[in-house]
Amino acid sequence: MTQARARVARRRAESLRAVLSIALFLSLLLALGLLAARAPAGAADAPPEPPDYRLDGYRTPTPATLAGAKVLETAAAAEVWRAGGAAFIDVLPRPPRPAGLPEGTLWRDAPHASIPGAIWLPNVGFGALNPDTEAYFRAGLQAASRGDVNTPLVIFCQRQCWMSWNAAKRALEYGYRDVAWFPEGTDGWAEADLPLVPVTPRP
Amino acid sequence: MMRRSPFRTAGRACLVALALCAPATGAARAAGPDPMQDAAGETRKEATRETTWAAIRLDLFPGRDIGEAGAIVQLDAPDRAEDAALVPISIQLALPAGDPRTLKAVTLIVDENPAPMAGRFTLGDGRRDFSLSLRVRVNSYSFVRAVAETSDGALLMTKAYVKAAGGCSAPATKDTADSIARLGEMRFRSFAETGRPEAQVQIRHPNFSGLQMDETTRGYTPAWFVREVEVKQGGKLIFAMEGGISISEDPTFRFSYTPSPDQVTVRAEDTEGKVFTSTFPGGGS
Repeated sequence: MTQARARVARRRAESLRAVLSIALFLSLLLALGLLAARAPAGAADAPPEPPDYRLDGYRTPTPATLAGAKVLETAAAAEVWRAGGAAFIDVLPRPPRPAGLPEGTLWRDAPHASIPGAIWLPNVGFGALNPDTEAYFRAGLQAASRGDVNTPLVIFCQRQCWMSWNAAKRALEYGYRDVAWFPEGTDGWAEADLPLVPVTPRP
Repeated sequence: MMRRSPFRTAGRACLVALALCAPATGAARAAGPDPMQDAAGETRKEATRETTWAAIRLDLFPGRDIGEAGAIVQLDAPDRAEDAALVPISIQLALPAGDPRTLKAVTLIVDENPAPMAGRFTLGDGRRDFSLSLRVRVNSYSFVRAVAETSDGALLMTKAYVKAAGGCSAPATKDTADSIARLGEMRFRSFAETGRPEAQVQIRHPNFSGLQMDETTRGYTPAWFVREVEVKQGGKLIFAMEGGISISEDPTFRFSYTPSPDQVTVRAEDTEGKVFTSTFPGGGS
């Protein structure tokens, strides 16, 4: 082998190495991308299920499970919705207009869109409820289930929201036997191009 | 632009940070009881973020045209607030030389707060420039707007988008108890000796928004805030404020004025009808 040929071979080997390392890098990127795309948001840092209700930091990663309840991915929730028969309960919080505002104060409740047919019961997902809110939640669930504790319930708010986890846990405590928690909520629903409609809270 | 109030000590800032900053979230106060905001939701909302303004402007300025302010109104607000309950806002109004008009008022609006009108500030007669800094609560990602009114009745607006969430519902702190204990106490500082024709007044008040959850009753703490402030010097109005739920705890206003020996009198009234009055040296010689 002449020196010139050796140089050519070396250069070829070098360029092959370069191509290979770029390919390796790209496939790594692709793998990472796939992982990110497949994993539900926050799944990587999903905390363990706490023994009791969550009392603060409601917009933080939620657990992967809720003891006693089913956990529905968006596609599964959509299937349940299409099949009919389940009561969908949106628990997105919304403070009421405070008493004692000066006369003429402009107050505007932020509009909210939810899953068609869902019943909106705001503020029932806080970690601890006062008796009024407790009674409101019980009455809301009773109406939604037509008084039958075997009626399937699907409880949700938005992604990474402990309010839905708390509310689903509470529904179990109230004796409902078929409770599903839908952690992706209206965020996952919207991203799946499923319909959302304007909704007002149940009085 | 961050202008730290000299009245807020570092200790207080640490306490607030410790008590309220949410774990595991980059944005400050993103994990309060009510801030139903996250990046994905907000990206979707960006497209419609002028929608709220379209809905509220008719209520705030019925039948009025609102023009672009150009250089007459400047608004400084952080892109992303460190603390949504204490978002620093700075407004500078200045009419160009030769403009025969004067300034009548400026209204501060936080579109996405449930009570969007944060404060309307009426100026003393003959003002051709005015600067004002204060802290407000921002409940969800929102445009903040300053709308100035000139003596000919024209409305001139400028706006800034602020990424902050949960400011209105941020829970009360230990400092809140202190604010109640010292309810209505005022502090005044003139910056005249530093060469700036500016002064700052702070009124101790919890300024409850009505959106804060009470840990003991598990219900919302009733709204209770300073609804009117009047700052006069030698009997002449510097500015008067009509305020809403968006002004932060312990309302603090830094404003431009003409330092003089004339005393400055501050009168404040809250939503319970309590009136607080204090008088201070005018800061000039």
